[in-house]
Amino acid sequence: MDKRLITISQPITQAEPSHTDKDKSKPKKNIPWRTIITLAVYLVVIPIVIFIGVKLFADRKYNIISIAIALLACIPFFIGFEKGKAGARELVVIAVLTAISVLGRLIFAPIPGFKPVTAIAIITGIACGMQAGFMTGALSAIVSNIFYGQGPWTPFQMFVWGFIGLLAGLISLRGKRPNWILLIIIGIIGGVLFSMLMDIWTVINMDGTWNWSRYVVAITSSLPFMAVYAISNVVFLLLLTKPFLEKLNRLKTKYGIFDQA
Amino acid sequence: MRDKAFASYHPIILFVYFTVTVFITMFTMHPVLLGISFVGSIVFCGTLIGVKELFKSLAYSVPILIIIALTNPLFSHNGETILFFLNDNPVTAEAICYGVAIAVMIISMYYWFKCYHAVMTSDKFVFLFGRFLPKLALLLSMTLGFVPKLKKRYREINEAQKAMGIYTSKSYVDRIRSKVRVMSILLTWSLENSVDTADSMRARGYGLKGRSSYAIYRWHRQDTVMACIAFALSAGVIWLMFSGYGDYNFYPTLAKIDVSALAFTLYAGLFILMFLSTVIEIKENLLWRYLRSKI
Repeated sequence: MDKRLITISQPITQAEPSHTDKDKSKPKKNIPWRTIITLAVYLVVIPIVIFIGVKLFADRKYNIISIAIALLACIPFFIGFEKGKAGARELVVIAVLTAISVLGRLIFAPIPGFKPVTAIAIITGIACGMQAGFMTGALSAIVSNIFYGQGPWTPFQMFVWGFIGLLAGLISLRGKRPNWILLIIIGIIGGVLFSMLMDIWTVINMDGTWNWSRYVVAITSSLPFMAVYAISNVVFLLLLTKPFLEKLNRLKTKYGIFDQA
Repeated sequence: MRDKAFASYHPIILFVYFTVTVFITMFTMHPVLLGISFVGSIVFCGTLIGVKELFKSLAYSVPILIIIALTNPLFSHNGETILFFLNDNPVTAEAICYGVAIAVMIISMYYWFKCYHAVMTSDKFVFLFGRFLPKLALLLSMTLGFVPKLKKRYREINEAQKAMGIYTSKSYVDRIRSKVRVMSILLTWSLENSVDTADSMRARGYGLKGRSSYAIYRWHRQDTVMACIAFALSAGVIWLMFSGYGDYNFYPTLAKIDVSALAFTLYAGLFILMFLSTVIEIKENLLWRYLRSKI
């Protein structure tokens, strides 16, 4: 067997000896750079945006500020992915999972609020790690809104779904199926979190500032949706986790992808 | 499908134009500015999707507008002109006006996004972001390609499963279980397939340095002209808004609308900016009809 046949399955950075020879120190340098960008966004840029919101816009324009913050919060992950090791195979697997979750939203469209996006983001997070979980969740928001119509809520959905996928990757053992009680709890928390965070946007958009009484009303009026989100998450997690994890795990061992954190 | 004149501009111009209009709409609470944005968005949307479709969507959005306007006094008791008391809470004219303003803002945002949806197709979006985030843009365009492909496969699997008589009862549980089963089969099929795609991409040199990508969008002279006009207008409008001409207070009493010369410049500037797209669209359509009538 030729050595090249084996290298084909490796991520690009390793399969290109000429590149790694030229800049040997690059992989080591990459990590601090990403940390610096992440820290810069979270510790410097976001506070500056909040400061601008308070000072320049006289504490009124929370809607614009909150969109800016939601977008900025996603940027470190996107940059991390962009500069990361993910090769063509990882890319394509994330694309398939995202497409399935978008398609799931289309398939189950007759039942309002009943969508598998959260569940698939969670499963991806468990099977393929935090970064893949975040990307699948965030990308599902962008792509499904390309079909359903973008709006100011897109950055929020991106961040919320991405964050749920990230959390799932963070708290679970890689590729191991959590027991069903944990799955139910994760599903309910995911649904409630999604609904409550999206209601924050509703209030901010309506009042320009924070209004507790409107938030309480927004939550109560969206309670049925919250229930549907939670139920659909639980249903999808219970039904999909086993087959999806098995298939993804098999793929991971077969092609040797997603093996590093 | 009818060709859209405004859509023929360079994607960067379209993206910036929509960002600026949405930003201005979200930023202001001034009744005149909101009114301009409201009418501008609806008219432009009408020229893009046709009058019939527009009325269909208005049938949904007008009731929402009324509901938002009428419920605002329940959350906000500011204002001096008390109309009546509801459960010992004052309902003020100012709060209703504020509700109308919010509703108008939300509806105009909705219509601007609808126009964006009609003009900024996904390939333009991918083209824009492919420059500084190539990996992400590739991921996005691949996903967009997968959705219709998977939809077709989903139908195929679904029909095969039905023919085999699995989960064919009408109960909800069975329906959901059958759909989940189909999704799981879809995953197996697509994952194996997609890894082949990835290997093929690698074999063709994906990820190597110096690879260029195909782009259909060129910068024409009309783009330069448009960029200059739109930039001058939006810079002027934003500057005037930051100097305080776009401010308006609903509470405690409705403020008077500014009618000074500079305020009028602001209104006129925003009007031209927001109707620029509509004018281009209508002009090109008339020209097209005129030229066709001569054939």
